[in-house]
Amino acid sequence: MLWELWEDFIGISVKKKMKNRGKNLTSAINLSLGEFDDLEKYFSKLEKLVLFPTESQKPTRLPVLKDYLIQGIGPLFEELGYNLEILENPINGCGPVLLATRDEGAALTVLGYGHGDVILGQEGLWEKGRNPWKLEIDGKRVYGRGTADNKGQHLTHLTALKSVLKVRGSLGFNHRFVIEMGEENGSKGFRQLVQEKKEKFSADVFFASDGPRSEINKPNITLGNRGVLNFDLLCSLRKGGHHSGNWGGLLANPAIILANAISTIVDRNGRILVDGISIKKIPKTIKVALQNISRDGGKYAPEIDPEWGPKNRSIIEKVTASNSFEVLAILSGNPESPVNSVPPEARAACQLRFVVGTNLNEIIPILRSHLDLHGFNNITIEEPASSNRISFEASRTSPDNPFAEWMQSVISKACNSPCSVLPNSAGSNMTEVVQYDLKIPIVWLPLSYTGCSQHAPNEHILIPLHREGLAIVTEVYWKLGDETEGFKPNITKPKITT
Amino acid sequence: MTRDSVIAQTQSYFDSGLFETEIGHLVSIKSQSQIKEGLPECLLYLTDAMVPAFEKMGFSTKIYKNPVDGGGPVLLATRIEDPNLQTVLGYGHGDVVLGFDQSWTKGDGPWKTSRDGDRLYGRGTADNKGQHLINMSALGAVISTRGKLGFNSKFIIETGEENGSRGLREIIESDLEAFSADVFIASDGPRVRHDWPTVSLGARGGLNFDLTCTLREGGHHSGNWGGALPDPAIILANAISCIVNKTGQIQIKEWLPPAITSATKELLKDIKLDGGPSGPIPVDMWGDPDLSSAENVFAWNSFTVLAMSSGNPEKPVNAISPTAKAHCQLRYIFGTDINNVLPSLRLHLDANGFDNISILEPPEENRGGFMASRTEPSNIWSFVVRESIKQTTGIQPAVIPQMGGSICNDLFTDLLGLPAIWIPHSYSGCSQHAPDEHILLPLCRNALGIMGGLYWDIGEEKNEK
Repeated sequence: MLWELWEDFIGISVKKKMKNRGKNLTSAINLSLGEFDDLEKYFSKLEKLVLFPTESQKPTRLPVLKDYLIQGIGPLFEELGYNLEILENPINGCGPVLLATRDEGAALTVLGYGHGDVILGQEGLWEKGRNPWKLEIDGKRVYGRGTADNKGQHLTHLTALKSVLKVRGSLGFNHRFVIEMGEENGSKGFRQLVQEKKEKFSADVFFASDGPRSEINKPNITLGNRGVLNFDLLCSLRKGGHHSGNWGGLLANPAIILANAISTIVDRNGRILVDGISIKKIPKTIKVALQNISRDGGKYAPEIDPEWGPKNRSIIEKVTASNSFEVLAILSGNPESPVNSVPPEARAACQLRFVVGTNLNEIIPILRSHLDLHGFNNITIEEPASSNRISFEASRTSPDNPFAEWMQSVISKACNSPCSVLPNSAGSNMTEVVQYDLKIPIVWLPLSYTGCSQHAPNEHILIPLHREGLAIVTEVYWKLGDETEGFKPNITKPKITT
Repeated sequence: MTRDSVIAQTQSYFDSGLFETEIGHLVSIKSQSQIKEGLPECLLYLTDAMVPAFEKMGFSTKIYKNPVDGGGPVLLATRIEDPNLQTVLGYGHGDVVLGFDQSWTKGDGPWKTSRDGDRLYGRGTADNKGQHLINMSALGAVISTRGKLGFNSKFIIETGEENGSRGLREIIESDLEAFSADVFIASDGPRVRHDWPTVSLGARGGLNFDLTCTLREGGHHSGNWGGALPDPAIILANAISCIVNKTGQIQIKEWLPPAITSATKELLKDIKLDGGPSGPIPVDMWGDPDLSSAENVFAWNSFTVLAMSSGNPEKPVNAISPTAKAHCQLRYIFGTDINNVLPSLRLHLDANGFDNISILEPPEENRGGFMASRTEPSNIWSFVVRESIKQTTGIQPAVIPQMGGSICNDLFTDLLGLPAIWIPHSYSGCSQHAPDEHILLPLCRNALGIMGGLYWDIGEEKNEK
């Protein structure tokens, strides 16, 4: 047994835990772990998936995205008796979606999710000359693009499902598993696809893994996401620059106007000043859920300034229960070689991350009237650069939703320690489609940690953490299909609070 | 041998197309002083274009190597006719700002002049190659008409003006006698209106500096950290907004000059800035609302953000950027407590909670650093020049206490102790310092006549010391 390996990181005694489990569940977990502990064999499976350079932000990779579904992940589902259907993306140039379905005629239908696409490989920027498309085990870390986000995480689910099937002979629930190939490119077309083929995606509950845990040594479930809207603020006053000597003092300066406009939207402490796009009060259920959670970024986390962001809120409240406004980039004039001229225009690429309570389609109108009210009718709100066009509604399943509570209790038992509930993550993804189009409760169980360099060079997973995740996911799937302990959608009718 | 014949000669020089040919040659030399590659071209401008032109007019020439590393050479051309005559010091700069080759929408790019109607496009046509060419040609017209100037002439052509005239002070100090004169008359910058001859008695100073907010190395995913991690672009925007409001009014009282005198107000009362048909239109309320537009530019201080950047504006990503930077400039008039500008900025930023903003030296290629300077309107030379222009054109020239732009005028007023008169030959819509720089050809023709008449008059007067 290699439990010691992960105890270094996780600090939970598993052996004690194992005693309280039924014989069959113990077998299923042991099967999963046995599979994992043959590290070479296990990670050669992951390596096969990492080998596909599924960079969805590069149009030239479009064929690779399909290859991943057909040659990479598809066969693993087929092995488990899933029916496969590849759905073409309704938006031209965007990756297809795999829907793997296993219908057992059970009362409960679970929707799973993973994404096979990754962000850019960033070849040449990795430490020790590592190749992002080659898996490399180095001590307790396994490097490779997609190991954490998200190939490693959906492989974990497949491994767990396999163990459950082997021991029980069936899952005990119907399963629909989506593998999307455009998540890193804004999940373009995903909503349309779900809306068009709603019956194919419909389920009672959503359970999947992506992203990092909030704290490395403690599991948490996440019930939604912040929404996001990117847009540009542009102050374009004229064509061409004009000599600041001749005109300085007379000609309006777009950089100064834009800076002033930004300062009316968000103050020097990052506090949003616009009514309607800030969260004035955090709901009590959310505050309670967050009270024992902190944001642990591990070794590479940036230094936090307690003064930044909304007053009197903890860091986790700031990033998951508050709205935040960012200026992602700003440009005016020629910063590389500045000259003495009044620049013709200034542009800021801006972003609002927001939680339930702020509606995506109200943001721009609210900002527009705010700018007008403050005399900034010379500022226009524009579409962002196409490479960074992203918008998602905020989503959140209430922490007191029966499925959320059921999952929390199952995972707490699995770890023998309380599982935290994060009402929503700080980031943004397609969860809103599940919430608003499929209208089912959402539980994410993130299996990575915030120091995993997701979206950067040196992306990796931690072997002990991954191993623990596999054990937990196996237990969750086991219990979902358990006759007595399983989640009963008809009895405990899920409700959604927004 | 009359005033009229020298003016006529300047006009036929222009009408023959020679002026356009000569300016085309000057523009073709890529004398960009803000980049290292431009330095040899700056020297070439002097040796290939200026030295032969001055020698042809009987000037002796001397090229001074710049004592500042990376600074362009300086030419002094001298024609002494009689030590008892007045000596007029002229000036021009042969260097230009960057070409921005890709951004031109008119003509044939920066390095080849191209005519479109009344406009002649090309880098340096307005700033300053065209302007000193006009003055040199006018000197030549007087010499050929009269056989002599009737005064002594010295002419400085520097090649580092767009880079802050670094080293020029040291060069003049090293050879004060050679640069000495009785009056300074030169041309740069724009008229207040293209058809209104203008006399400028000084220059605003220019102080460039950078404001930066650097909080950490590398970006961090806004999906993980947005809301908890300070955003330097937001902090910088707020800092700028506490220095200058949305209509360009400076918020730091230590930065403001003393109140505008009634004499200055009188000079400026009829002046309205006009950049010509395609010049920028200052539609917005900008600057101090209690001042006229001419007062805002010629008699007040202004703060400009020349450039600003944060993150990756070409390809924005969802990350909180580690740093934000603004390249800033204060244009200020004579009388401003310039030594207190940066200290008072520091105090102002600190008092408003911006101790995370640093005030840094600007990038080397755009240091600015001109001092403000001014000659009093009552100076006798200001009357001589105004009368001469009026006689040539029939128009009372506009007189401004200082031009909006900044130039090394203090070297002439303070170091050499001269009254300094500027007669600008461009107009404010000329896109100087930007792509599509151009001059107006009718204005050049008019300016040639003005300068011919003026040099004639100076030589005509009983100008013995």
